[in-house]
Amino acid sequence: MTEITANCTLTPPPGTDAENAVVMARELSKRYGEGDTAVDALRGVDVDIMRGKLTAVMGPSGSGKSTMMHILAGLDRPTGGTVTVDGIEITALKERALTMLRREKIGFIFQTFNLLPMLSAAENVELPLAIAGRRAEGEWLRSLIDDVGLSDRTTHRPAELSGGQQQRVAIARALVTKPAVLFADEPTGNLDSKTGEEVLGLLRRSVSDYGQTIVMVTHDAHAAAIADRIVFLKDGEIVFDCGSMARDDIYDVIKSLESSR
Amino acid sequence: MTRLAWRSMWSHKLRTILTMFAILLGVAMITGTFVITDQMDQGFKTIFDKSAQGTDVVITAKSAFTANYYGPSGTLPASLLDLVKAVPGVGEVAPVVYGSGAVVINGKPVATGGAPTLVYSVTPQRFSQIQYISGAMPAQSGAVAINAKLAGDKHLKLGDTIGLTTEQGLQNVTIVGVFNWADSASVGGATIVQTTLGDAQRWYNQVGRYTSISVAATPGVSADALAARIKAALPTDVTVKTAQQSAADSSKQVSQGFIKVLKLVLLPFGGVAVLVGAFIIFNAFSITVAQRLREFAMLRSLGASRRQVLLSVLGEALALGVVASLLGIGAGIGIAKGINSLFKAVGADIPTSGIVLASRTTIVALSVGIGVALVSSLAPALRATRVPPVAALQEGAALPATIIGRYSRWIAAGVAALGIASLVYGMIGPGTTTVRLSEMGLGVVLLFVAVAMVAKYVVRPLARAIGWPMAWVAGTSGRLARDNAGRNPSRTAATAAALMVGLAVVVFVAVFAQGFKSSFVGAIDRSLNAQFVITAQNQVPIPAAALAAVRFAPGVSDASSITVAPAKISGRSGTASAIGIDPTAFAQMWRFHWLKGGSDALLGRLAGTNVLVEEQAAIKYGLSPGATFTMMASTGQTAKFTVIGEYRDPTLLTGFVMAQPTYDSFLPMSQHDPTLIIAKAIQGDTAQVKASIIGALKAFPTAEVRTKSEYSDYLKKSINQFLLMLYALLAVSVVISIFGIVNTLVLSIYERTREIGMLRAIGTTRRQLRRIVRYESVITSIIGGVLGIVLGVFFAWIVTTRLGAQGITFAVPFGQLVIFLVLAAVVGVLAAVVPARRAARIDILAAIHYE
Ligand SMILES: Nc1ncnc2c1ncn2[C@@H]1O[C@H](COP(=O)(O)OP(=O)(O)OP(=O)(O)O)[C@@H](O)[C@H]1O
Ligand SMILES: [Mg+2]
Repeated sequence: MTEITANCTLTPPPGTDAENAVVMARELSKRYGEGDTAVDALRGVDVDIMRGKLTAVMGPSGSGKSTMMHILAGLDRPTGGTVTVDGIEITALKERALTMLRREKIGFIFQTFNLLPMLSAAENVELPLAIAGRRAEGEWLRSLIDDVGLSDRTTHRPAELSGGQQQRVAIARALVTKPAVLFADEPTGNLDSKTGEEVLGLLRRSVSDYGQTIVMVTHDAHAAAIADRIVFLKDGEIVFDCGSMARDDIYDVIKSLESSR
Repeated sequence: MTRLAWRSMWSHKLRTILTMFAILLGVAMITGTFVITDQMDQGFKTIFDKSAQGTDVVITAKSAFTANYYGPSGTLPASLLDLVKAVPGVGEVAPVVYGSGAVVINGKPVATGGAPTLVYSVTPQRFSQIQYISGAMPAQSGAVAINAKLAGDKHLKLGDTIGLTTEQGLQNVTIVGVFNWADSASVGGATIVQTTLGDAQRWYNQVGRYTSISVAATPGVSADALAARIKAALPTDVTVKTAQQSAADSSKQVSQGFIKVLKLVLLPFGGVAVLVGAFIIFNAFSITVAQRLREFAMLRSLGASRRQVLLSVLGEALALGVVASLLGIGAGIGIAKGINSLFKAVGADIPTSGIVLASRTTIVALSVGIGVALVSSLAPALRATRVPPVAALQEGAALPATIIGRYSRWIAAGVAALGIASLVYGMIGPGTTTVRLSEMGLGVVLLFVAVAMVAKYVVRPLARAIGWPMAWVAGTSGRLARDNAGRNPSRTAATAAALMVGLAVVVFVAVFAQGFKSSFVGAIDRSLNAQFVITAQNQVPIPAAALAAVRFAPGVSDASSITVAPAKISGRSGTASAIGIDPTAFAQMWRFHWLKGGSDALLGRLAGTNVLVEEQAAIKYGLSPGATFTMMASTGQTAKFTVIGEYRDPTLLTGFVMAQPTYDSFLPMSQHDPTLIIAKAIQGDTAQVKASIIGALKAFPTAEVRTKSEYSDYLKKSINQFLLMLYALLAVSVVISIFGIVNTLVLSIYERTREIGMLRAIGTTRRQLRRIVRYESVITSIIGGVLGIVLGVFFAWIVTTRLGAQGITFAVPFGQLVIFLVLAAVVGVLAAVVPARRAARIDILAAIHYE
């Protein structure tokens, strides 16, 4: 265990490199319910998400991964603590301003693809821009659709696409606004291993080629292995914060976390 | 399975409530109609029964048919009285004279809200229900007693002088008594004035005559026996009835008369509401069956039979129908109560007898409510049974297409053909009015169903057209709204269809009314060559003496009158109008629209047995120029006439026109008063002449003087008032269709929860989301509006031009149609309020994790 987690001390503590932190969370806590039945999903999390890196979030079921991601993305509000995205403290924002921030700075990829069935693939990709009342630059849109490998599928409706293709549309949709940070909650959870592989490759490339910042929640050690950094949660706290790791090492950490409950 | 139905209803409370409302309102309208008309029936029956108390036998002049419901048209010679008295078994005998008029206070007639003012001569106490509260029975000429309601309303007391219009003009009379009639201050809203026998005879042209004779039997003689004896002793031109029989006949006449008309007018509106409700239930069940597909598949794979699935859906419909119908009956009674107090508030208390909930009402209301729920949920229920068990395992399985679905175009074409056939057959086929109206109604319903079935094919193009400006104004929100509306065309079509039905009827009424106005009012404008029209309030004829008064008013060059009475054409059903005019004077002020080569020369020949016929009467009775026929007056008198010419006039002279002397000798005295007088001014200043005519008519306070244009306006206004009432009744159907749109939107939003969560997550504001829902709603409602307007205009076109009913022209009120379209859009906006709020409130996180 010590040899594996040695790599984990390399990550500088939060606040060290504020310049390059896109998302900063401090003292983040989230409590569901009240009194005896209250659940503390997050208990004082401090974390910085660095620009141009793919950060994976792992941990046993119920450890608070989704909760943390939702709060960082401005989809949910913490019970305590602050979150700053691109210099803006989102925990202080009103509903409408928060929506605008999501629109401008944040992208999402869901486990279920959540495409609009009546729009074509290309229209689904453009949707966030359309909602913001903006037009996509043709060049960018084309290269994006090309990159995700859908150039021959642009006019198809979601129902006419495979699961992998649908998720690629969803990825393109998340990238189209060039968000400051892209959140993905188990993006390969509904895909077979081969298509999952393709999707992971795509995410990796967008980090390496475009410098996209990505936060990816996953259960899959294989998926986490493409990350630049892996944050391990347990019982609402960050227990390990590591650099990139090999699949087997990740597997070991998870195992140890799950057995020690 | 029953539990499942309950669960399903309970877990979709809003849907259940909305669909319940869809049934409830229609049932309430039907119940309300029955309750109101039944209580009026009952009210009149009570009045007639009470007035028969104390009397055993009633003698009146024989009348072939009754022209109005409060009195016979003929009179009896006074000499009959002695003949009656001589019959053994006759106890007390009382001659009665009655007529109708108006009470005038300070030169103004008292408004009665349409109820009659009846003038009765005094009768001995045993024959009448009158109890004097103050004063006593009038005993001298010029003395009257009045009912307590009139005294109370107008603050009249003993010794006050009031005016009373009679067939001999205005009489000034002194109040000597105030009475209750059978313990109530008025008789179903009617005003009653009691006079001496002599006054009544003089004022109502019955000197030496009576209107009726009331007889009481000596103890031990039955009313039946006495009636038979009297009948044997009297000439055959009188009617002898037991008082009981007479009361029953009068009740029947009222209930077959205007109460039946009221029922026939009101029930179709309930029917429209029920039809709209049917579309909504069909749609609600279709949507939920589609949404519960997995559930049904799961049940089937657990071993539930098709029958069980069918029964679980129908069970839900049944429960819905029963609860909604019961609530609807309650609401209907509430409506009736409301209308009662409304009538009371405006002082026109129609005879009522408390709420009457006949078992027929309950049975009809329950079977309509439950029937509609079951019939309209049958197709969705059958679809539910077609769900294969394997669908439980498939992601995104869709309902299999049904046979109906596959051949829907052909079925729709068949239904439409059947509908048109039924509509046309109803218009030109044989049968009574009720039968033919039912046939036309069925035709219209079938056409609605057919259009609703094919409407799904036009949903997408229409949504695109309507959504285009929205997408232009609101960008993506508009675009998404448009796409959502076109997403499930059958669903959108069925939702729009509900609004279509209500709006089509509204448009039909509007177009029809427009034609009505332009042909009726237009005809007056074209034909009337005089500056003034004089009519009487409350549709009571103007005393004949008024004609001379107008003619000699300063500034008037000449005046002429129209006298109208009901008459029957022998061998034909229905009642026609016999119209008397002075051919020479009238022709100076009236341009006839001659048909079949006629000309004003015909007026020169209008004398003796020669008559002119109006186009519609000519068609109805098959009497063209040259034909000879027999006409019967309400007295039973018959005469032969010859048609010498034909003209068109849908407004005033709608029947058979004859010369005044012919009219006067053919029809009884009581029908000699003109209904309308027209007058021509010598020249110019109409305001002055009008004032002069009003002055000349001082003695006839019920007469209303209008200039030609005022008269057209007045006609238009009456039509508009009637229209307003119809629109108010139709508003209920439109409200129901709002519930339908709300329901569809709410169910669709529920289906799209996850999608909405995603939209919110990627930056859609609540406002944008509300707008998407609102626009979808407006697109749906405008589709309904467009379909409704097209269908409504089509129906009006068929009814007017194709069949030329009543000579009404086809005129499209484009301005109004635009208003209706805007109304449809408003309906959409209103319907979207709640669903839009629901959509905007959806919790993003919950939505993303929503299964
Ligand atoms: N809406 C909620 N109400 C109450 N408790 C909640 C709610 N959402 C999450 N929790 C609780 O908070 C804790 C963290 O949940 P979270 O969904 O963040 O876990 P997770 O790490 O994403 O798990 P998984 O890997 O299963 O997705 C859990 O104990 C969960 O039961
Ligand atoms: Mg999770």
